[in-house]
Parts: sequence; structure tokens; C-alpha cells
Amino acid sequence: MEVLNKLYEMTAFGAIGEDPLTLVMLALALFLLYLGIGKRFEPLLLVPIAFGVLLANFPGGHMSVTPSTEIIEHMTILEIAKEHGIMNMLYYMLIKTGLLPPLIFMGVGAMTDFGPMLRNLKLAFFGAAAQIGIFTVLISAVALGFSLKEAAALGIIGGADGPTAIYTAIKLAPHLLGPIAIAAYSYMALVPVIIPLVVKYTISEKELKINMKEQDKLYPSKVKIKDLHRTKIIFPIVLCAIVSILVPSSVPLVGMLLFGNLIKEIGSDTNRLMVAASETIMNAATIFLGLTVGATMTAATFLDKTTLLIILGGFIAFAISIFGGIMAVKVHNLFSKKKINPLIGATGLSAVPMASRVANDIALKYDSKNHLLQYAMSSNISGVIGSAVAAGVLISFLS
Amino acid sequence: MESTLGNALVLLAIGMITVFLILALVVISGNILIKIVNKYAPEPTKKLTRASRSATGTAPEVIAAITAVVETVTGGHGKVERINKIDK
Repeated sequence: MEVLNKLYEMTAFGAIGEDPLTLVMLALALFLLYLGIGKRFEPLLLVPIAFGVLLANFPGGHMSVTPSTEIIEHMTILEIAKEHGIMNMLYYMLIKTGLLPPLIFMGVGAMTDFGPMLRNLKLAFFGAAAQIGIFTVLISAVALGFSLKEAAALGIIGGADGPTAIYTAIKLAPHLLGPIAIAAYSYMALVPVIIPLVVKYTISEKELKINMKEQDKLYPSKVKIKDLHRTKIIFPIVLCAIVSILVPSSVPLVGMLLFGNLIKEIGSDTNRLMVAASETIMNAATIFLGLTVGATMTAATFLDKTTLLIILGGFIAFAISIFGGIMAVKVHNLFSKKKINPLIGATGLSAVPMASRVANDIALKYDSKNHLLQYAMSSNISGVIGSAVAAGVLISFLS
Repeated sequence: MESTLGNALVLLAIGMITVFLILALVVISGNILIKIVNKYAPEPTKKLTRASRSATGTAPEVIAAITAVVETVTGGHGKVERINKIDK
């Protein structure tokens, strides 16, 4: 009998029943796994996050992230691994230091083509307008009782950029990292639902039929690119200099994005670096980011009113950002002969290239010849820069 | 609360102005960069040798595509000397 008792104590059966909220978290983990695997919602990130939640909430495994305290912050990595387990070691080494989001940005840069943006530079402005959701939700969150730092971390979900949202949360409100990451990636996965929803109530059929190529023929651009390859090599260097001087706090993100892009554009001479950045490093960083962020989500830290407000606030931030981009195009069309399809504004979010693909599909529904993917990519890519700059502003003012 | 809301409004103004300013600079510097590159470093027109065209009968754009693939795969070390069509 004593042996059976010891065997029972060795397992986690007893501990699971002790806290029913743990069961809620395990159910949430399974639901997220279903969304990632079954529904294919951002599986590359949602699957590691969901599995991180699962690992963290199985009692006795010591795989949950211990909230930061002064004692932990003064421990060495070896001491953290010994006393709090390897998940905490990974968290404090890779997440708390803010290392992984810039590494992911480097990979994103190595997979991004600035060509569409350079060909349609004017459209980059709409990437700025689509950041309005970040700041309006920041104000609303403050009114609801969040601190300025927490509100800023919440608002940045409106930028629709997972690594940027995580980076900002790490810097300003690390205790909200789990819900913010989940909200950011869930809404990014729901871009094909959210953009059509906002478009339905804000853009008329006539506007949706504005054909960008026809407008280009009627009002051709004055600037023609003769050597796109050389331009694309110099562009990230120039852009990095501008951003570094004006918003230095956004350099960890924007700088790494532009470095990744540079090694892509150089071509065969740096091909191995590009492959490492966009595949090896990016994939490893994504795994560790997902698992550790998931491991921050325990019943004690996740199941409260704040999480619900973050999920709701994130959605509103997302919708307002799309609305802001659309309205900016509408205002432009009031004063310009050359009309722009407001769908271009809706892609001012970062979610690259999904937002552009969704906008393209909507345009094709109304006019089968209206392919606006290349145009949408311009504001979409500038949205990545815009949200990283917005994050830089928030971090430099609030941290 | 009021002062926090005030700070949030200030952040809204500063944040949006900064984002617009940076993207305006992106547009301006991009246009200047394109003009400079167009003026000082126009892309050299790639001349395919008559021999390569007549020997293979391959369209220039196909040669360019094959050359680019070989360059990427071999990390810049490989060179295309001949293109032969293999009949199955």
C-alpha cells in the first residue's frame, strides 16, 4: 500500500485536482492547439505557444515561468536553471533580455522585398495612418484604469506585428506578455476575417472598383527606377541611418529588419547569411519565443479580468488601425485626381503579406482585372516600419 | 488619472507625428535615392554573346534565369558555359 501511495505521489494526478483553474488552462492550451493544427491559424507560432501553455500548467513539471522578482533578476543564468528549471533559464536569457524579437525581425527582413514599396513610394504614407489604433486604444486603456506602460503594451497589438508587440510588452509590461502575445497572434491569424468586416462598413462598391493599374496609366509616376537591384541594396542602409538618428529606441527592431533585408538584396555573396537569418535563426527563435511566451501563461497570471480586457482592447486596436488606413486614403482621394483604392489603406497594418492578399482578393471580387497586390504590399511593408517606430516612441517615452 | 490621460494624449500626438515623419523621410529619401542611382549607376545592359544565342537558340530571359539560379545555388562560384536541351 505504501508503495502505491508513493507511486501516486510521484505522478501529478493529485496535484491536477488540487487547482481546478489549472484544468481551465489545460483546456485553453488544447483549444489553442486545435486552432493552430486544425484551423491552421498561424501554426508556426500558435503551436509552440499552446504547447508552452500545456507544459507550464502540468503540475510538478516546473516548466512555468516564474514572474520576475528582484531576487531572480540578480541570479545568474546557471542559478536560475538550477532553482527554477530550464524554461525560466530560456525565458530570462532570451525573452527578458529582448533578444528574440529582433532576431525574428532579422529573418522577416531577409524575407521582405522592398521592391513594391520603392515602386509605389507614395503609398507608404498609409502605413503611418494605420498606426492610429495603437494610440487610440492606449488612451482608452488608460481611461479603463491601466497604467500608461500597460496601456502602451496593449495598444501596440493594433500594429498587427507579433514580434513588435512582444518586444514592447517585454520592455513596458512583462507581466502582460502572455495575453498580449496570444491576442496579437490570434488577431493576425484573423486578418482574413477582420479586414473584410471593417471594409464592409467603410468602403463603397464604387471605391472598391478603383483600378490601380488604370489610375497609373492615366496619371503615370514621374520617377522610374532604372536599376532596382542597386536601389534595393542602398535603400536599407539609408533607411537604417534615418531611423537610427530619429528614433534610436526602435533600432533593435528596425535595424535588424534592415540588416536582414540587406543580406538578402546583396545576392549570392551573402546568400548563406540570408539563409541562416530567414531559416535557421528565424526557426530556432520562433520555437523558443513561442514556448517561453506560452510558459508565462499560468492560471495565476492569465485568468483574470485584465486578460479579457487585453483580448477585447487588442481587437478594437486592430479594427481602428484598419479604419485609420482606409480613412487616410479617402481623405487623399478628396484632394487628388489620381484615385487610390481604399483597400490599400486597410493594408497599412503590419501583417505581411496576409493583409495584402486579403485586400487583393476583395478587389478581385468586384473587378476581376483589379490586381492590387503590389500596391497593397507598399503600405503593408511600410506598416512594419511604422509599427516598429511607434513601439520605439512608446518605449523611449515610458521605460 | 487626468494627468495620465494627458500623457496618453501627448503620446498620441508625438507617436503619430513621429511615424508620419519617418515614413515621409522614407518616401523622400527613397525618391532621392532612385534619382541618384538612375543618374550615376544605371544598370549595365547585359549583352549576350552571339555565340551563346546561336549555339543554344535559348531566349535571353531564359539564359538570365538559368544564370541567376546557378549563381544562387553555387554561392557565386558556378558559371554557365553551355546550355543544352536534353531530349527524352
